[in-house]
Amino acid sequence: MKLLTCPMNGPRNIDEFQSFGPVRAKLDPNSTADAEWSRHLFRAENRKGIVVEWWRHVPSNYFFLAERDLVSNEIIRTFDASELRERA
Amino acid sequence: MPLRLLKYGLSRDYPVSGDIPATPELKPVYDVVIIGGGGHGLSCAHHLAKYHGISSVAVLEKGYLAGGNTARNTTTIRSNYITPEGIAFYKEGVELFERLSQELDFNVMFSQRGQLTLAHSEATMRSFHMRAEMGKHMGTRTEVVDQKGVEELCPLLNMDYGGPLEILGGLWHADGGTARHDAVAWGYAAQASRRGVEIHQRTEVQGFEVVGDRVQAVKTNRGRVACGQVLIATGGMNYDVALMAGVELPIRCYPLQAMVTQPLKPWLDTLVSSVSLHTYLVQSSRGEVVIGGGSDPYQLYSTRSTLDMKEHLAEGSVHLFPFLQGVRLLRQWAGITDMTPDYSPIMGASPLANLWLDCGWGTWGFKATPVAGKRMAQTIADGRVPDILKPFALERFETFRLLNEMGATAASH
Amino acid sequence: MNRLPAPFGNRIDRSRRIRFTFEGKPFEGYEGDSIASALAASGQWVLSRSFKYHRPRGILSMTGADANVLVQLPSEPNAGAERTPVSEGLRVSAQNVNGSLERDRDAIMDRFGRFLPVGFYYRTFMGPRRDSWLKFWEPIIRRKAGLGVVDTKAPHRHFDKTHLHCDVLVVGAGPAGLNAAIAAAEAGADVVLCDENPEIGGSLSYGRYDPAILSNLSSRLKALPNLRVLTGTVCNGWYEDNWLPLIQGNRLHRTRAREVILATGAIEQPAVFRNNDLPGIMLGVATQRLVRHYGVRPGRSAVVLAANEDGYRTALDLLDAGVAVVELVDPRSVGDAGPLEAELRGKGVAIRKGATIEAAAGTSGNRHLARVRVGGSWIACDLLAVSIGQAPAWQLPCQAGGKVGYDAAAEMMTITLPEGSVHLGGAVAGTDELPDAIGSGQRAAAAALSRLGHAMAVEPPITPKSVGPRYVQPILADPKGRDFVDFDEDLQVKDLQNATKDGYREIELVKRFTTVGMGPSQGRHSALATARVVAEATGRSVAEIGITTARPPVGPETLGVLAGHHEALERRTALHAKHVALNAAMKPIGAWWRPYYYGDASGAEEAVREETLAVREGVGLLDVSTLGKLEIRGPDAGEFLDRLYTMAHANQPIGRVRYCLMLNEMGSVVDDGVAYRMAQDQFYVTATTGAVARVYADMLFRNAEWRLKVDVLNLTGAFSGLNVTGPKARLVLEALESDIDFSRDAFPYLSGREGTVAGVPVRVMRIGFTGELSYELHCPSSQAPHLWDAVMAAGRPHGLRPYGLEASRILRLEKGHILIGQDTDAITTPDELGFGWAVSKKKPFFVGKRSIEMRARLGQTRRLVGLQFPAGARNIPGESCLVLRGGAPVGQITSVGYSPSLGRHIALAYVHVDDQAEGSRVTVKCRDGELVEVPVVAHAFFDPTNARQEI
Repeated sequence: MKLLTCPMNGPRNIDEFQSFGPVRAKLDPNSTADAEWSRHLFRAENRKGIVVEWWRHVPSNYFFLAERDLVSNEIIRTFDASELRERA
Repeated sequence: MPLRLLKYGLSRDYPVSGDIPATPELKPVYDVVIIGGGGHGLSCAHHLAKYHGISSVAVLEKGYLAGGNTARNTTTIRSNYITPEGIAFYKEGVELFERLSQELDFNVMFSQRGQLTLAHSEATMRSFHMRAEMGKHMGTRTEVVDQKGVEELCPLLNMDYGGPLEILGGLWHADGGTARHDAVAWGYAAQASRRGVEIHQRTEVQGFEVVGDRVQAVKTNRGRVACGQVLIATGGMNYDVALMAGVELPIRCYPLQAMVTQPLKPWLDTLVSSVSLHTYLVQSSRGEVVIGGGSDPYQLYSTRSTLDMKEHLAEGSVHLFPFLQGVRLLRQWAGITDMTPDYSPIMGASPLANLWLDCGWGTWGFKATPVAGKRMAQTIADGRVPDILKPFALERFETFRLLNEMGATAASH
Repeated sequence: MNRLPAPFGNRIDRSRRIRFTFEGKPFEGYEGDSIASALAASGQWVLSRSFKYHRPRGILSMTGADANVLVQLPSEPNAGAERTPVSEGLRVSAQNVNGSLERDRDAIMDRFGRFLPVGFYYRTFMGPRRDSWLKFWEPIIRRKAGLGVVDTKAPHRHFDKTHLHCDVLVVGAGPAGLNAAIAAAEAGADVVLCDENPEIGGSLSYGRYDPAILSNLSSRLKALPNLRVLTGTVCNGWYEDNWLPLIQGNRLHRTRAREVILATGAIEQPAVFRNNDLPGIMLGVATQRLVRHYGVRPGRSAVVLAANEDGYRTALDLLDAGVAVVELVDPRSVGDAGPLEAELRGKGVAIRKGATIEAAAGTSGNRHLARVRVGGSWIACDLLAVSIGQAPAWQLPCQAGGKVGYDAAAEMMTITLPEGSVHLGGAVAGTDELPDAIGSGQRAAAAALSRLGHAMAVEPPITPKSVGPRYVQPILADPKGRDFVDFDEDLQVKDLQNATKDGYREIELVKRFTTVGMGPSQGRHSALATARVVAEATGRSVAEIGITTARPPVGPETLGVLAGHHEALERRTALHAKHVALNAAMKPIGAWWRPYYYGDASGAEEAVREETLAVREGVGLLDVSTLGKLEIRGPDAGEFLDRLYTMAHANQPIGRVRYCLMLNEMGSVVDDGVAYRMAQDQFYVTATTGAVARVYADMLFRNAEWRLKVDVLNLTGAFSGLNVTGPKARLVLEALESDIDFSRDAFPYLSGREGTVAGVPVRVMRIGFTGELSYELHCPSSQAPHLWDAVMAAGRPHGLRPYGLEASRILRLEKGHILIGQDTDAITTPDELGFGWAVSKKKPFFVGKRSIEMRARLGQTRRLVGLQFPAGARNIPGESCLVLRGGAPVGQITSVGYSPSLGRHIALAYVHVDDQAEGSRVTVKCRDGELVEVPVVAHAFFDPTNARQEI
């Protein structure tokens, strides 16, 4: 079983976590054309390489982010969501 | 004893069939370049050559022939879907399998022993009724059976749970079956090669030359190939390959795992799958019990196996057939699936005029090998998409005309 | 008859005799014997018949998993006879025989082999008719397929799972593993050492070594409290982040190790020549194991094929065991006479160099080896011990990311691991002689320790590796075949060659076309020879060909040990016992047990009718504890709900209850419930039973994204819910001791109150799923039984009846209320439900808003409506029956039932958007195919003005 290091709970078996998928770009719903909006809805970050994605530690219900390599499955780092907002 | 075996036995030398010619030199140009030497690409090549007279075709395979999901899937063939568009398409697929051995002169061992999907909840029974009503309406053999019916179809199932895992009934699909996956690909490869199609193994596509709205050439590790038309049929690599051409598909890749037991004398006739347990079992003609289930819970381009999935599938199997406790597992493996948002494939046109898509096959592609190849060949030859494929267009995600097959795909593929 | 005296037989206890049967015949062995050793001791060498040709097969390696040694136990197919211990009364039989092992009618297949070339089944069995395969050929082939027979009446066995954590896991307790484990433990690390054998020592337990070496290591081991030894324990796989399954009998230790040392040894390889599969031909290690572990003499007159020192030691061992060694054949050229050679010659053994075994011949029916051919002449013998080379046990290293290579000069398969937490030690790392293995184990420990931050007291020295070739054997393809590369699958050299001629040139294609390596031993004894045959046939090097991917498990493992002990999750409400005491028919819905109706099954229909009418005419009580119950607290609570749900909540007055409808980003309906504003910064929100887990997670996810000042609590289990409903509901509540004023004016419809009822703290909401006057009482689950009793007692004078889920479903259907998931699917929009009233037009944002606006522009195709069947209608369509328009499906029935209040069947159904008007007639296809026409009616079938719920 893979280990995932939760920023709050430390390294835990990955079956304690739930993936919520890569962080998605924010679009302004009011200024986005229909076709672009639907592409946004169904679009999925799936490039070979490192993605930033949401994870939930289920027992503690803590949501955080992880940088993970979609090919090697290596988890580069994990961090709290506040950091994402600071970067944005 | 069949006549052909007698001939083999009495001949002095092994009767070489030469199914797969050695990889030739790449030519500078082909009418059609098919990216992906799996079942779908080879099927398309065969149909182009045999039915459309197009034999200037190169099939490019980055690894060995049919070594991706064609080799890794658990070979379920069925048409008991939910949407009328889906059922119509897969029904044609089943019909093509029924005569595929003759078509290819290669025994693909299509074994139509039926598929029994089990319901452990009223909600599942309701979805079964939906599939049965739609299936009957579309002319497939799909019906809901009650507990007694389940016992008659599969007497060895454990029916004595009580509780949340009690089997309430099932969806019986007499058209369901399996075939030997490798044989399907090899049969297509042999037939296509005999008609002049070139199969290039260890030939990896590394990029596209796009001019305006056309693909001019495909760049490979063995050189550049100019092309009239291009088909992408690369299974788990579809997103990646399409992206090289600047086309972003609504696809996410997840590993799908499966496992197999040691060979046993036959005891399981039908395919059995359980929606709630996310487990399905089928006994192959070698006697091995092939066991599979749902996809991994997060995106990944890796064919590594996990212990947890194996434990989960073992739990499900032992729940359904408790006597399997003493049966030994021999091997587990995984494939990379290209999942679409609505669990239906993406077939037809791309934003580029001469680039065609046979993508989004997720966990359900093997059964469509003959029909997808046939219909994509027709599309490429005619330069337009036939009606049966139109609902599967990439544009459906812009117009919300989704073909939601999630409920018909979760338990068995 | 073949039993040797002590000290041979270090595994067996001669004081304890064990009787068992094989093929119905009685046999005797000792405690500690395996099935194969006990049978061999009694002269029974044939254990099985081969997969395809039904040739007699016997012991090959004494380690394992070859099909050769798979036998049938009463409730266990494919048991490995070489490892399975004998037990008193055990009934063992042969597998894959038609008749008996001795007289197998299918042995004739051996003669028809030429008619069954590799891959023959792809080229035939197709005719004469299209369905000939399915109807005629496949049944025949299926009967011949498989090996063991599964006992479908097998008694239940108990399996369990534990977890192990350690600093260093050492796999393999041979000389390298023992030294690695001791070194790591002596440096202070927490160490687990596992070995699949019943004893530690590996080759030290059966090889020609000084016994003092093992006893010395053993005593050092025992002095280390931080070293845990698990014998009889197979490490059967390596998974990400050093997660390893250690299987010990019926127990699975799920093990997490910081560092892993693989000292898994090497696998001795068979030689390829005609009839190399005869019983009596076995690997050198097999003879040594038989002799030292079990005290079994492996033959009387032996030829030894030796291309390494181990082969010479084997010959010496055989002499010690009283076996006559007729000749030692060494394929290597003359020279390199070591001390072992001299010792053998001294004992009078003839040694022939530069020669090999060209063929073997068997006794009648090939039941045992009779002679071997060397240099064109035949030598009589009943044992051929083969020691021509080894392959490192690549399975675990390759799973851990190791790459297999081939050193052509040393004729040796090599393994390279990436730098990291997995280390190799001993023969798997390419060491040969004992001192080299010991040093290798110590160096692996040093590497692991340094990563852990420990240091070893003495830095292990680099020992020189010997450089003799490791796999010396020309593969001798015989024109007449039966030169087996893969015993499991009965594959000969020509089968592999022919596959390459047909174009199956890549190793994976060879494997798939011929099935080489796919049998029970998974290529252990065939992978290297296969690579060599394919390399030669295709003019490439062995390194280019490689071996097929090593996938877990390492060896066969039972589904039972993987499944362990597993119970399905089920949930009971706090009122479960109350329902049972009231004789409720309990049924599981999802994980929850719920009362369907109260009473015996014989009176089910009547009970449901009475329960329904009790609510319509008097008062009923329903346990709604399975509802999702969420509490949203914080200054942004209103804003939070505004973003999540379609209606307005920020402006919702305190004490009011509002319907809430949740969409996903695509604008599809995913949940509904009610929100009760208890305070400016506190909402109590319900969610549907099936969706609450997801809704709760989504709320937390959104909260992490939006970072509003709110906190979300899931009170689903902590709180229970009781719905008191019916025209007399108020009378019941007013009869209870309470600080809440239940009067119409003080507590109007769609409002909520906090207080106590019968001494229990409650949150009460006036909402109306049944369409009647309803009070939903929520309270801490611990006090729910008390509240239930109080309500039941207060209700008795008013004829209160508890009612179950069946009645509840009818009551809601009579009101046209939807059930999420039943009346909606993955693409249902609020418009399709006619729920425009539930979607705020004023809010700038809520999840799904943008999408439903767009989807409205794209055009609506269907609409959920009510259908009302004429009283006494003959054919009522069931749930999911199709609604057709012009013969094409446009929708389906989502809910249907008989309404006792209306005296007819009613349904909810999706119809074409143009047919939504009341009075339209739609065509529905019944289960039996009959088409019926049904009129469309307004949603609420009963009390269309909704007057009753507001009284």
